[in-house]
Amino acid sequence: MTTTAATSREPIVLAIVEALSGVLGRPLADVTEETRLFEDLNLDSTSVLGLLMALEDSLGMEVDPEALEQHHLESVGALTDFVVEHSTQR
Amino acid sequence: MTAGTTTARTPFVHRVKDALTGDVTTPFVFLGNFEVEDEWAHGEIGLPSVRGAGASSAVVNRMDEFALLLAGKDDHVVLKSAPDPGYLAYLDSLGLDLPQVLVTDVDDPLRTVTRDALDSPHLQSRLRELAAGGARLLAHGTSTAEEELCAVTGLASALPGAATTKAVNSKIYSRELCSELGIRQARGWVCRTVDDFTRAVAEASRAVAAGRTVGVKDAYGVSGKGILVVDDERRLDQLLRMVVRRAERSGDERLSVVVEEWAEKATDLNYHFTVALDGTVTFDFVKEALTRRGVHQGHRIPSRLPRERVDELGELSARLGARLHQDGFHGIVGVDAIVLTDGSLLPVLEINARNNMSTYQVRLQEQFLPDDGVALARQYDLTLDAPVSFDALEERLGDLLYTTDRGRGLLVDNTATVNAAASTRTAGTPFSGRLYGLLVATSDDELSHLDDSVAARLTEGTARD
Repeated sequence: MTTTAATSREPIVLAIVEALSGVLGRPLADVTEETRLFEDLNLDSTSVLGLLMALEDSLGMEVDPEALEQHHLESVGALTDFVVEHSTQR
Repeated sequence: MTAGTTTARTPFVHRVKDALTGDVTTPFVFLGNFEVEDEWAHGEIGLPSVRGAGASSAVVNRMDEFALLLAGKDDHVVLKSAPDPGYLAYLDSLGLDLPQVLVTDVDDPLRTVTRDALDSPHLQSRLRELAAGGARLLAHGTSTAEEELCAVTGLASALPGAATTKAVNSKIYSRELCSELGIRQARGWVCRTVDDFTRAVAEASRAVAAGRTVGVKDAYGVSGKGILVVDDERRLDQLLRMVVRRAERSGDERLSVVVEEWAEKATDLNYHFTVALDGTVTFDFVKEALTRRGVHQGHRIPSRLPRERVDELGELSARLGARLHQDGFHGIVGVDAIVLTDGSLLPVLEINARNNMSTYQVRLQEQFLPDDGVALARQYDLTLDAPVSFDALEERLGDLLYTTDRGRGLLVDNTATVNAAASTRTAGTPFSGRLYGLLVATSDDELSHLDDSVAARLTEGTARD
């Protein structure tokens, strides 16, 4: 991973944590890229749609839920990878 | 007991056999294919979703073990794996007549028991023998997968086919039935196409602008899941854009969702009735969801509804059941309803024409809940580092475990869900499990105290929160 890519991750991670916090309705402390969305944060499948909408808002991008695979939602880092990749492609 | 006769005190499962086959002695093969909605949802277009999102399917698939509690000693139950011997010994010690257990040849944690059974030649050959002896299949709910199992084994189903069952389980069907029968329901819109949805969003946006909340529900969402709750107009527009984009890409304009204004609820209710082959409808019970400090605790048995309200639900069951029968359905039905904050009733949120969670508790209630007793159907979420045996749980629960001598405590009603996710986790990481049970007590205070004690006991040592 290049330095540019690494630095550009930070705002995305922050946006994801904020979106997660909004969807789960509680503040989130100690969330890292390793934090698992379902197992650690108890996100459920229904909340995923709300999460993607919040990310569309904060990152100014369009996400097609069908483009996501389950592995993109394994952790904050995996979702960040998806957003980075998706943004690059656009 | 002679074939074809039942009384009010007849055990539930005998009443069901009589209603569905005309003979209380018909041997059944039970199949706990929970979340059959996922099968019904195939080919339907609902809310945009991420394939396979959610980590709970391994746990849900092991809810198959609940079928043990419904079946009697002349019945068989198909399970994904043999129950914990310690748990079977516990159920036996309670004096429950347990069925014969048949285990699928394979156990894929991410497949339902039916899908495993379809991949199990040895099991199928046993089922063929049972079919020849007159056994009938009683699935949790019927989809094409259960039909296929019937076809390959020769087992006749005690329930109608998948097409009928699917049709009457749609949330669209529930709404249209309420309109037809003049049953009060939340303001809402049925959407079969993207155009319907566009119109519904326009109306719903006005409601949201006026300060109300709306829910967008998949027609085949599992009860309580597949619902997007929206209180912001921008979110509705965003959802519409996603739906429109998807339709433009796929060229498929179909959609199966309902949009409803969210009602201010005070209490959730679940009532249950059985529609016999001949159309006779028997009202079984109503249960009340209990919340404590705003958190859902489980269903309280019996409900504390006034007699006239119970009677009202009984009469409504007769009307709903008659209409379901006209549409070709017979079998077990649960309906979710709510009491609003103003005390009035929204009697049909959704019709679940399949077994409900409450179905599996009936025998335990019949056998262990005294007339003046109270019970709470409860689920404890656990985070575990390693699988836990029933013996370890028993030791952990100690005097909080229900026994017939104590007459109070936690009557464990599923242990397969405790360890189900152990095999699908990433090595070395903890996994989530669920312990289901029925708390039995003599008063609400005692129930509440028991609940706290069990939760505390479970988070000590073996189970972490």
